[in-house]
Amino acid sequence: MICDFCKKNKATIHLIRVQNDNVEKVNICAGCAEDFNFFSEDDFYKDLTKILYKIFKADEGQQNGIRELKNLKNIEIRKNRSCSFCGMDLENIRKLGKMGCPNCYREFKNILLPIIKAIHKNIEHRGKIPENTTGQIKLEKSIRDLKNRLNREIFVENFEEAARIRDEIRQLEKNIYE
Amino acid sequence: MNDSRNFLSGDEPETGNLDGNSIILSTRVALARNLANHKFPSSSTLDERTQIIRTVQNCMEGMDGLPEFHFHRLSRLTRVQRHMILDDYQIDEEFVSKLSGRALLLSPRLSLKDSAISILLCWDDHIRIQVSSQGSCIEEGYAVASKIEKLLESRLSFSFDKEWGYLTANPADLGTALEVSIMTHLPAIAISPEIADFIKNLTKVGCSISGFSGINSEIIGNLFMISSSKTLGKSEEEIVEEMQAICLNIIEEEENSRKKLVKKDLLGAKDNVYRSYGLLKYAKILSFDEALELLSILRLGLDLGIVEKTRDFDLFELINIISDSHVISNFEIEGPVSDDDIDLKRADLIREKVLEE
Repeated sequence: MICDFCKKNKATIHLIRVQNDNVEKVNICAGCAEDFNFFSEDDFYKDLTKILYKIFKADEGQQNGIRELKNLKNIEIRKNRSCSFCGMDLENIRKLGKMGCPNCYREFKNILLPIIKAIHKNIEHRGKIPENTTGQIKLEKSIRDLKNRLNREIFVENFEEAARIRDEIRQLEKNIYE
Repeated sequence: MNDSRNFLSGDEPETGNLDGNSIILSTRVALARNLANHKFPSSSTLDERTQIIRTVQNCMEGMDGLPEFHFHRLSRLTRVQRHMILDDYQIDEEFVSKLSGRALLLSPRLSLKDSAISILLCWDDHIRIQVSSQGSCIEEGYAVASKIEKLLESRLSFSFDKEWGYLTANPADLGTALEVSIMTHLPAIAISPEIADFIKNLTKVGCSISGFSGINSEIIGNLFMISSSKTLGKSEEEIVEEMQAICLNIIEEEENSRKKLVKKDLLGAKDNVYRSYGLLKYAKILSFDEALELLSILRLGLDLGIVEKTRDFDLFELINIISDSHVISNFEIEGPVSDDDIDLKRADLIREKVLEE
């Protein structure tokens, strides 16, 4: 079977999803799968369900134990420190459930990271960026947007458009490194 | 006579013409921003907050393309005025608990059909742009909020982090700092056994659910406020699209539950609807919560076409009109007002608006 994306190589990965009475199939060659950044090499061959989950953005569920982490009131304080800009200390942040200033995020990054991860299940901003940001961040943002669009086109099996977007991403990535 | 025959025959009535409007009552889109290099309101002094309010006010002066806004300092409004604003602009009650160093910018509306645009200054965050509209208007609401944000951004610098997006006082709002909430009226789901799964599924897709009057409030009148709660790792467009899809799902599920209800227990449903009708018609005093419960069932009766002698009414508008503050201001009750006074007027008002004489 030929790959749905490049229409050249032999497809070695076949994904099937059955939902109610709908059956969706995708056939991909290893090269394209890597291009489209579906999954990291680590879990590439590990477990089909895991890959399926990732591709179809299936629900990873309210996982056990995460709930307790979801609140600033549960941050772990080994040694109380205060922010050098606003003077808010960790004890107070825990008590109020709020940060004191933008700088708090920088100073207490490591402590906040697990909580932010638990709340959002994600730690990377993918939304809008301020108009006045510099070129590099803007470029990175356009690449992220394109990658999202790419995933969507793949999802609706519009592979021609997907291939076009992939090329666009490559071009932009080139620009970043040059 | 004719009435009662119909009543017992068990004929399946038409499930009214549902455009989803009696299910999705209203939409609220909120966008939070903080000025760069300033403390968040919770850790700043009164002077600092006043300064921030002034900065934002100054920047908005003479700005092209911005809707008209009226400036209000909460501490200078009466209690009734404050509550009216909160009701009209769908502002969480928490906002009025502390008054000093906070301000509100309200865009005047000609009618309830217009969307209510407000900018809250120095609440949790320096700036919170809120657009609330009747029915399901997520995309439109976001477009308005985003336009205002863009205009403000042209003159103000917002605190932003490459990784974590727009920084907010509460880490739960980080990233897009965008929250979309829909007020839904789900009388059939609420009494069905599927309610548990329904709520579980909504939380699974990252929504939080609360009652009519905001966070942590109880569910009254089968009104569920469903809000998007994930702000990091999704773009604004994705959040908007997801909430739109969720709206459609909710409408479908409620419609299915209504069909099932009619099929399984039509007599029970009619009984319930007419009991509510009876109470609304003859009760002398009605608290807000009780009125909401009764009106919810009456609205269901109208949607299912199983109640007569009732005028078609918009649940969202009516809820607004019968709130304590609106009743007080409408009837110009003077001097000290007792709860009974308000409840009496409310019962009259509902009869006047909804029930035919």
